Amino acid sequence: MTRAENMSKGYQGGMRLAEVYIPIQTYGETFDLKNALMYGTIFPELYRPYRPVHRNPQ
Amino acid sequence: MHDYRSMVELLKEIQALEFGVYELALFLDTHPGDRRALEDHNRLVSRLNQLRKAFEDRYGPLRLDSESPYPYRYINDPWPWEIQY
Amino acid sequence: MWFYEKKLQYPANVRRCDLAMAKFLFAQYGGPDSELSAAVRYLTQRYTMPIPQAKALLTDIGTEEMAHWEIIGTLIYKLTEDATPEQLREAGLGDHFAQHDKALYPHDAAGVPWTAAYIQATGDPITDLHENLAAEQKARTTYEHLISLTDDDGVIATLSFLREREVVHFQRFGEALMQVQEHYQHKHIFC
Ligand SMILES: [Fe+2]
Repeated sequence: MTRAENMSKGYQGGMRLAEVYIPIQTYGETFDLKNALMYGTIFPELYRPYRPVHRNPQ
Repeated sequence: MHDYRSMVELLKEIQALEFGVYELALFLDTHPGDRRALEDHNRLVSRLNQLRKAFEDRYGPLRLDSESPYPYRYINDPWPWEIQY
Repeated sequence: MWFYEKKLQYPANVRRCDLAMAKFLFAQYGGPDSELSAAVRYLTQRYTMPIPQAKALLTDIGTEEMAHWEIIGTLIYKLTEDATPEQLREAGLGDHFAQHDKALYPHDAAGVPWTAAYIQATGDPITDLHENLAAEQKARTTYEHLISLTDDDGVIATLSFLREREVVHFQRFGEALMQVQEHYQHKHIFC
C-alpha cells in the first residue's frame, strides 16, 4: 500500500486514527508470591506504586 | 491462641498462592497461547490444591463443596472479615 | 455459577477504630467508581462480548471485583466495630446509624445509595471496553485520594493493593480491546 493509500484509509505509522492502542504484555520475570500479594501484582513491569505527594510532613 | 496464629499464617500462604494463580489466569485470558505462563499457572494450581487441602483438614472447609466432619464445620467462626491477619 | 470461598483475597487489617476513614471508604463500597459498580458492570457486559478472550476476562475481573468489594466491606466493618452511636454521630455517620446501624449498606461517602445508573452496558463491545478502561482509572484515582486521607498503615497497605489491581486490570482490558478491534477488522475485510 502506498503512503497515500494508507492515509486515505485512515492509517498513520501503521496505526489507525481514532483507535486506541496498548502494547500487549509479554511474559517475563515474576515477583515471588509473598511480595506479589503485598505489591498487588506478580508482574514487575506493571508495578506502579503510588507515593502520596500532599500529605502534611510530620 | 497458638492455633489461631498458625491458622492465620496458613491462610496467608494460601492467599499468596491463590493470588499468583488469579493473576496468571487473567494474563492467560488475553494470552491463551502463552505456554510458559500456562505451565507456571498449572504448577501453582497444584500447589494451591495441596495447601488448601492441608488447611481444610485442620481448620475446616473453605468452600461448601469441600467435605466436612460432623457437625458441619463450614459455618464456624471466624468468617473472613473477623480475622486479625 | 459461583462458589463462595471463605477467605479474603488480601489480609486486610486496621490498626485502630477510625470512623472518619470508614465514612470515606464508602466511596469504594457503594459509590460511582466503587468495587460494587465494577463487579456489576463487567458481569453485565460480558454477555455481549464477541470473542472468548473478552468473555473470560470480564467474567474473571468481575469476579475479582466482588472479592475487592468484600475487602472494602471488611475494612469498614473493622474500623467501626467498636464505635458507639455517639462516636458515629461525631464522625458524621449519625445519618448512617439512624437508617442502618452498623450494617454495610451500599452508599457512597456522602450517604447516596448505590444505583445501576453508575454503570453502562451499551451492547457495543468497543464502547463497553472503553468504559472499563476509564472505570479502572477512576477507581485508581479514588484509591489515591483515600490513601492520602489516612495514616493507618494497615489501611494504606490494603488500599495500595487494591489500587495496583486497577493498573493490572487496565492493562488486561486494553489487551482485550486490541483483540476485539482486530476481530472486527478481519470481519470487515472478509465480508
Ligand atoms: Fe478493577
